[in-house]
Amino acid sequence: MEKRNLYHDKRAQWAVYLVAFGVLALIPVWMGDDPFTLNQYARYGVFGILALSVSLVWGFGGILSLGQGIAFGMAAYGMAATMQMQYQDPVNDPIPSFMLTNELTALPTVWEPFWHTSVGLILAMGIPVVFFVLFGLLMFQARLAGAFVAIMTLAMLGAWYNMAYDMQPFTAGFNGISPPNAFQAFGVEVDPYSSMIYWVSLGVLAALTLLTKLLLQSKFGTIIQAIRDDSERARFLGYNVAFYQVVVFALGGLIAALGGMVWVIIVQYVSPTALEIFFSITIVIWAAVGGRMSLFGAIFGAIFINAAQSYVGDEFQATWFIILGTVFIVVVRFLPKGFAGLFEYAISFVPNPLPPSRSLISGQQK
Amino acid sequence: MSVHDFWTPFALEPFINALIIGLSLASIWLVAALGLTIIYGTMGVINMAHGEFIMLGAYITWILQYFLGFPWLLCLPISFVVVGFIGWLVERGLIRHLYERPLDTLLATWGVSLVFIQSIRLIFGGEPQYIDTPEWLKSVIEIGFVYIPSIRIFIFGLALGLVGLTWLLLYKSNFGVQVRAVMQNREMAASFGINSSKVYGLTFAYGAGLAGISGAMFSGLKTIFPDMGLGYVVEAFLVVVTGGGELFGSLATAGIMGEMFSIFSYFTNDTFARFVLFVLIVIFLRFRPQGIFTPSMARR
Repeated sequence: MEKRNLYHDKRAQWAVYLVAFGVLALIPVWMGDDPFTLNQYARYGVFGILALSVSLVWGFGGILSLGQGIAFGMAAYGMAATMQMQYQDPVNDPIPSFMLTNELTALPTVWEPFWHTSVGLILAMGIPVVFFVLFGLLMFQARLAGAFVAIMTLAMLGAWYNMAYDMQPFTAGFNGISPPNAFQAFGVEVDPYSSMIYWVSLGVLAALTLLTKLLLQSKFGTIIQAIRDDSERARFLGYNVAFYQVVVFALGGLIAALGGMVWVIIVQYVSPTALEIFFSITIVIWAAVGGRMSLFGAIFGAIFINAAQSYVGDEFQATWFIILGTVFIVVVRFLPKGFAGLFEYAISFVPNPLPPSRSLISGQQK
Repeated sequence: MSVHDFWTPFALEPFINALIIGLSLASIWLVAALGLTIIYGTMGVINMAHGEFIMLGAYITWILQYFLGFPWLLCLPISFVVVGFIGWLVERGLIRHLYERPLDTLLATWGVSLVFIQSIRLIFGGEPQYIDTPEWLKSVIEIGFVYIPSIRIFIFGLALGLVGLTWLLLYKSNFGVQVRAVMQNREMAASFGINSSKVYGLTFAYGAGLAGISGAMFSGLKTIFPDMGLGYVVEAFLVVVTGGGELFGSLATAGIMGEMFSIFSYFTNDTFARFVLFVLIVIFLRFRPQGIFTPSMARR
């Protein structure tokens, strides 16, 4: 019988997750309400959401997607359109100013639905998911895997980046869309420089993390991990591998899309940089450094790396990418499971105080 | 934006010009993809730092010219040797530890590329640099209504020359036999006395060297800057993957992609053409993941 590592005990895992989010939720109470700090922490929340999506898709689903930025960017544009139309007046000022400077005389049809905030939100969330389902079907029904998926998602991301850049009358091109007012929904205004934005961001992150964790502990979660470890064997056992992969890929898209929506509420801005290849690969770095096989590890990686970048100070900004690159190389070379793997190893020396409970131990020993 | 602005109607002379631009573009993509083809095709390594090898080649050319006054043509072979050596170091120090984990090489080489970009930016600054080419390459050749800068013809010729050289090396030399043996079955080749570790190192160095020489070539065409590599690496990957990681696959794909891009951008514009091309490649790979010529492939 293998030694029981506390790291794999579900009760301990849930305790850590709940305590961690609980502590994080209290930050505005303890640290005061400096609006710029809270805005920055809310941004870290979105980075955490993105790392979560990579952890689900890559760490547990075994699909290395370099195109999480597609969902993030699409949703961000949808959200920006919704917020922009909240500012526009249907009678006196129906067309956003960047469209006027691009010589549009009427609101484009694709922008019409964004008059209604609820429709806009559904589109911002739904379009990326539909796209990921179709894109996933295209790839996984052909049984593509590994590097091919990475390259195809990269190419698709590049294609959308070009579109966002080029469709200037619809997306404001290089300049991007900056809605003038804060997001309002159901009579509430979400001030991007307040405790509220922090709680919105953290709330979405916490809800998505716990839901993903529940999903991974279900039968579905076991199957996708089986597919990750040996997709041929899972296929021989009768599972429809492509179906599970498409669902994981689309769920990853949904999580990244929600991240994109929260992001635009926080920064009130979207530009093609959201679809940059560099950004999407950076998300993968966060998850890899923190530990892609652990939701908490990936989120921690995202927050830790970004916080480190902010706090190293200006004199080290120039060498930051050298540090990041080196850390990443070292992690890939020596710690394939990231810092979470290191933690898993360290805690295996601590005796498990919890009584054994076979049904509650997740099957991650590998 | 009306449909009329977006869609350029067909006219023979500009269209033929577009076809020639397509050939030139194809030769650039081919050169950029050549080193990657060798590395991916033989070793199965996804080298994300390839664009940065191109960038290093361009910067070595600039250093040689700016500080030492070397003529441009002499810089080409030197870039090949220096970047090849850097590539060899990267293979020895990092990549050879990751052969069992191909996806991890993709990530690790991305880390390498971050380090290269930022090091160059720290040392030489982020501003674009210019490189002087010989006078005879600055002229424009005029045939009827067709105008071609002679440097593009030079690059086109050099691209074909490099493909020929690589073909000779891979298919007509003793080293090539060893490379192809290791490529087919590493253990079997090793048991026949081939030092597979050395073959991998040299192959990677040769691929990196090709990237270096292509960087030196591009420096004569465009300005150089620390993150210029990213502009080539995606296209280069698509050429390699669509070509199935084979020399002639890459040759054909680069030609087809260059012409398709040029024709699409003639009728519409550059960015839309790139969008259509990328989407077409994704769909193509869905039906032929093994590449354009390769008959079949073991699914990984």
